[in-house]
Amino acid sequence: MSFSTYKTDKAGLQKFYEAIIGACSTYAPVEKFGKYDYQKVAGLAACNPDSPIGNTMSIKPLFFPKSAKILKYKADSSGTEVSETTADPLAEKRVILGVKHCDARGLQVLDHVYKWDFIDTDYETRRNNTIIVSTRCDKAGEQCFCTSLDYDVEKSDAFDVLIVNGDNGTIYVQARTEKGEGFLKEHAGNLAAADGGAEEAMKKQYKSFEDSFRLKMNYEEINGKMKDRYESDEFDKVSANCIGCNTCAFICPTCHCFKISDERIKDEGVRYKSYDSCNNGYFTLMAGGHNPRPVKYRRWRQRAMHKFVYYKERFGVNLCVGCGRCAISCPVNISIFEVVKQVAK
Amino acid sequence: MEQLLVPSLCTIEKIIQETADIRTYRLKFKDENLMSKFQWLPGQFVEFSLLGYGECTFCISSSVTRKGTFDCSIKRAGAVTSDIHSRLDEGDEVGIRGPFGNNFPLEELKGKNLLFVGGGIGLAPLRSLIQYCIDNRADYKDFTILYGARSSDDLCYKEETKEWQNNPSLKVILTIDRAEDTWHNNVGVVPKILEEVVKPTIENTKVITCGPPIMIKYTLQSLDRLGFDPKNVITTLEMRMQCGLGKCGRCNIGSTYVCKDGPVFTYEQLKTMPDEY
Repeated sequence: MSFSTYKTDKAGLQKFYEAIIGACSTYAPVEKFGKYDYQKVAGLAACNPDSPIGNTMSIKPLFFPKSAKILKYKADSSGTEVSETTADPLAEKRVILGVKHCDARGLQVLDHVYKWDFIDTDYETRRNNTIIVSTRCDKAGEQCFCTSLDYDVEKSDAFDVLIVNGDNGTIYVQARTEKGEGFLKEHAGNLAAADGGAEEAMKKQYKSFEDSFRLKMNYEEINGKMKDRYESDEFDKVSANCIGCNTCAFICPTCHCFKISDERIKDEGVRYKSYDSCNNGYFTLMAGGHNPRPVKYRRWRQRAMHKFVYYKERFGVNLCVGCGRCAISCPVNISIFEVVKQVAK
Repeated sequence: MEQLLVPSLCTIEKIIQETADIRTYRLKFKDENLMSKFQWLPGQFVEFSLLGYGECTFCISSSVTRKGTFDCSIKRAGAVTSDIHSRLDEGDEVGIRGPFGNNFPLEELKGKNLLFVGGGIGLAPLRSLIQYCIDNRADYKDFTILYGARSSDDLCYKEETKEWQNNPSLKVILTIDRAEDTWHNNVGVVPKILEEVVKPTIENTKVITCGPPIMIKYTLQSLDRLGFDPKNVITTLEMRMQCGLGKCGRCNIGSTYVCKDGPVFTYEQLKTMPDEY
């Protein structure tokens, strides 16, 4: 089915945003020390939906928090008592503004792992209760390569509402899902229906966006070759500089490994579920000392192969969405793009 | 997800000191309803919590055919297992989530000769299947158990292996790595005894093996030499795990989730997987 497209201008878009923030619980990029993080906002002045991707944290923590309480317990001579923690603050009905296309795709990718077999109902609720409003970038970032991967960035339905900057200050607002269509019906009061030229203008914007990419790869070729590169010596070379800080995993929109840990004070305590990374030396260390991935190149191989081969094999989608954040944030300038290109050479 | 990670409380009915560093914990859910509904198949595992100290993955070492309780046999090997050994007494409470994972292919084993090859604490997952098969003895043909450990003190389930030895429908071979004055059984590592003493028939036989990585490695080589088809050799893997639900990503070997697709694999399956276990 085709969804509605509206048009407006900068002032109109701001009004549209203001109306959403006024009516719904809204998250948007909020600046702090030059970096942006998605937070609940009370007005448009506090946030910037057009924040630059390189300086913006992904929306992953709104669906998979950095650290979540699993349970509280009390254990003493009279017995043990386990209680579940309080209501999930991320489960409310909400809207996220200024979501990058790659991050929205990241959620689509994560849906597979959270929905197979055991269903992560917390994630599912957060997902179902969220409207994602995504602005298409005008220009690719230094480390971006989303258009080179296994998904169609232009026709993506990873977000509910798409916003595109057209020519001469015209801004197009388009529903991309049923949920988005309903949402726009409710909130597009000040927007006018787009005319026939909208599709053309949006295509033109996409073309100029696509042409601005510095990094490009042939995904099918890389994916095909990586499958045979398990024994490659290149993993040793590309991982040589890694200091194992795990920044890449924590800011990645699709890394989803976690650990379970206990915090105890006397007879009481809390159990947490927090981010973890396969780049940690202890990640696979077992009691007794056996460790299947004791050295760095094996851990980097796991990271690169999981992103570009294993996840695709298992769930049919690539685990890397090409946002380039890991390359931007890496203290020793390791880029997953360069890693897979070199390994698959 | 967070609800799925919350364990249910179990009471420790009994602690059996198997060896100097292995204890079997006999557990029962506090909620009787939960206990009667708790069904598992040989090969499955649970997440065992000592609240405040951590959660660990252990196979269930007893069979569902022996109702009312279930066993976890735990070797003191790391931080949490040391806490389990030093802090828990009979009557204490622990948290259990599960059962998780796949199980030994019970249907495929029917009508076959069974050969169990275990080493050290590796007998724990096999014990669940052995008990299950003994309780359904008519379904299987020849029944052989080869079990070894470093020394006679390191052999687990001493009372139970005696029972097995006294059971005329089972053939039980015990071995230790080095000779001892009071030991009148086989001496030698498991793969050696397998080839030189057990000399199993290949025809219609399924081998189920578990033990320390080094023993598994050489046992698989021995089985290759004896001419076993890798399809008929079944083992169970140990991997670091956290959630047991196919979410946390820790137990991945290639695109395989050991917690969901395993821990039971055939030797044939292992050959197609990256060697990261």
